[in-house]
Amino acid sequence: MTEEPPLVEVRNLRVRFHTPTRIVEAVRGLSFSLGREKLAIVGESGSGKSMTGRALLDLVPWPGEVQADAMRFKGQDLLGMSGEARRRLRGRHLSMVMQDPKFSLNPVMTVGRQIAEAYQLHRKASRSEARERALAMLEDVLIREPSRVFDLYPHEVSGGMGQRVMIAMMLIGEPDVLIADEPTSALDVTVQAQILDILEKLVTDRGMGLIFISHDLPLVSAFCDRVIVMYGGRVMESLPARELAKGQHAYTRGLLGCLPDLDRPVRRLATLQRDESWLRGG
Amino acid sequence: MGPGSIVVRNLNVRFGEAHVLKDVSFTVGSGESFGLVGESGSGKSTVLRVLSGLNRNWDGVVEIDGNPLPQRPDKAFFRSVQMVFQDPFGSLHPRMTIDAILAEPLAIHGLDQPDRRIERALAEVGLDGGFRFRFPHQLSGGQRQRVAIARALILEPRILLLDEPTSALDVSIQAEVLNLLQDLKLRLGLTLLLVSHNLAVVGHMCSRVAVMKLGRIVEESDIDSLRKQGGQDAYTQELIAASRRVALASA
Repeated sequence: MTEEPPLVEVRNLRVRFHTPTRIVEAVRGLSFSLGREKLAIVGESGSGKSMTGRALLDLVPWPGEVQADAMRFKGQDLLGMSGEARRRLRGRHLSMVMQDPKFSLNPVMTVGRQIAEAYQLHRKASRSEARERALAMLEDVLIREPSRVFDLYPHEVSGGMGQRVMIAMMLIGEPDVLIADEPTSALDVTVQAQILDILEKLVTDRGMGLIFISHDLPLVSAFCDRVIVMYGGRVMESLPARELAKGQHAYTRGLLGCLPDLDRPVRRLATLQRDESWLRGG
Repeated sequence: MGPGSIVVRNLNVRFGEAHVLKDVSFTVGSGESFGLVGESGSGKSTVLRVLSGLNRNWDGVVEIDGNPLPQRPDKAFFRSVQMVFQDPFGSLHPRMTIDAILAEPLAIHGLDQPDRRIERALAEVGLDGGFRFRFPHQLSGGQRQRVAIARALILEPRILLLDEPTSALDVSIQAEVLNLLQDLKLRLGLTLLLVSHNLAVVGHMCSRVAVMKLGRIVEESDIDSLRKQGGQDAYTQELIAASRRVALASA
């Protein structure tokens, strides 16, 4: 265990966007390492959690700029790597499930062909073999009639099904690390539980590392091993997921406080008081 | 039933072959908050679309303010029932200023003093006058949803239909919007019909709830007994279990 380098290691990651009027800092000095575990990154919109995932994959859009003291995947230095080498890692070793299937799937290609294409890109496989694998993958993500769904276009599938198609597409390359950006936020609670079971199995059976990006605190507390709480591009707090409810930082407490709870009715929900000092220091 | 009440009896909606609402019946009293929960595709949004006059193809009896809802409601009806949609990014016209967005319903209904009404509507949802001449893309998600609520309130409706009003928002913003809706309901005596898949949100906002599955209401209950005894129906129990599984024990 000790000899094996962590799957992902990030030290002092900064993502900046140079706009005509000012420099927007999306991520300001994030450090973490990921083993074969489920790591959650939580925070509100604009906290930099999605940009962290994109920086790992080299998918930060122009005019973004990524800097870090270190960014390694299984000991390989990602910062010094060519774009070509990063591209070879992407999908095969490091994958990301994007948030919205409506915008992330190719609208003019059947979902089955998109999954098969992902497979053929990374393996030397014939079309019929890729088709077989894609059908098996659809079954793995609990789609009932894989052969019917294979020939559907993205607009013909529901949001939950589209989400599962994306997960199938990302998992078909059998990546070592999966970054899941709000993978279940569009799903009903029952389907959500099934998707989480699939991800759980991949981590325990195949030893995959999972970075789970979410704004759903109760969900990550129940599902993940560790949690990083981000605000304004900075880490507010990092703690074991089970202890999220005991989080000490004012921001974590604030986020927890404004959740309605079925068993604890309150007349008025607490609202979050933001503090400028959270963005300095740390 | 008096003003602001909703009565639905044996409501059926078919889209071609698909029978999406099957004998749906429920009653919401004046000034009450009623929740509809269920999975996507269970028909909860279709109920709202019928009540708001957006879906004109239905059978059964619907009474609003004690008057039967005709298949083609007149203009006055739309003043008394207004809807707030799920996605504040999709429900505001991207090329209209907030001022133009709020002025449009006033022009349609020929209401006087648009200036004063727009100012008051913005103030009611906690936005200052500086927002009036901005475009939707210059606003955050929570601010946009406030504008959508202002647009619904500007016609002074008795009934507000809310279709997943906070599911696109961060939890901190969700708390602010839910508090705002509670305040407005109390101050203006509104009847709220809230559709959500989040039982915790419905539990916070509503006194009674109906659970929908595959186009039917499988259970109707008040929130307190749901909280204490759990649901009667297996599906309700599953929803409650799911919302408890992800509930955090606070330290």
